[in-house]
Amino acid sequence: MNPAAEGTTYPAVPFIVDPSRVAAFRALFEITEGVPPTFVTAAEFAALPQVVADRHLDLDFSRVVHGSQAYGFRRPLREGEELAVRARIESIRMRGGNGFVTIAMDLEDADGVVVCTARSQMIERAAGG
Amino acid sequence: MRTRATVSVGEELPELARVVTREDVKAYADAGGDQNPLHQDDAVARSVGFPGIVAHGMFTMGHMAAAIVAWAGEPDAVLHVSAQFRAPVFMGETIVAGGRVRSIEDPAAIAVLETWVRVERDGRTEWPVKKGEARVRLA
Repeated sequence: MNPAAEGTTYPAVPFIVDPSRVAAFRALFEITEGVPPTFVTAAEFAALPQVVADRHLDLDFSRVVHGSQAYGFRRPLREGEELAVRARIESIRMRGGNGFVTIAMDLEDADGVVVCTARSQMIERAAGG
Repeated sequence: MRTRATVSVGEELPELARVVTREDVKAYADAGGDQNPLHQDDAVARSVGFPGIVAHGMFTMGHMAAAIVAWAGEPDAVLHVSAQFRAPVFMGETIVAGGRVRSIEDPAAIAVLETWVRVERDGRTEWPVKKGEARVRLA
């Protein structure tokens, strides 16, 4: 991973809050109504490919484990709405051969309001370790 | 939605337990979009030192969020939720999510929760999530 990639921003990726996927999430976690908070992970995975493919960042996803995750909501997601997912590399720290990257994603609605910010810390483990 | 008057600092959330199955983890991969073979292919999991596939951290966090939503009354009341992933979770294990009210912010009427997910393994308590956190809007 390249620490100089800190601050990189990526083009917005569209994400539809698909009611059938939301229903699958609800069924799995036995939540009876609304959009489960961690459903936002599906939006993150929509925007993640361009981060993984970024050669300047040079993140080896085969060595990545998920360190931590946070979601902050201005309002709940609405089923059926289309959001724009904007990813950025918020921070990169190298410690003991491991790389710690925080990927922040803003989910923006049609009015340009950021309805949710997701932060994933990924740990790229040292090669050959 | 839970009302401010019924909530006090120190109150514990009802614990929520579930057995983690291969079928549920596969269903999670399809719903959430994380098709990493570490969560589906035992050979891949063994090649990186696990005894078999591990549940997604987000599966465990989803379960933690379910415990928070059950307490909050509805998903829309959850303003913030976060988790640090500590221990892996293997198939057939029972994960238990819990939490307690750490503080209440007034007059906004927001409950700040500390939350966790534990699993009993070989006579020890392991912590897939040791320090989770949530902010829940109260009515």
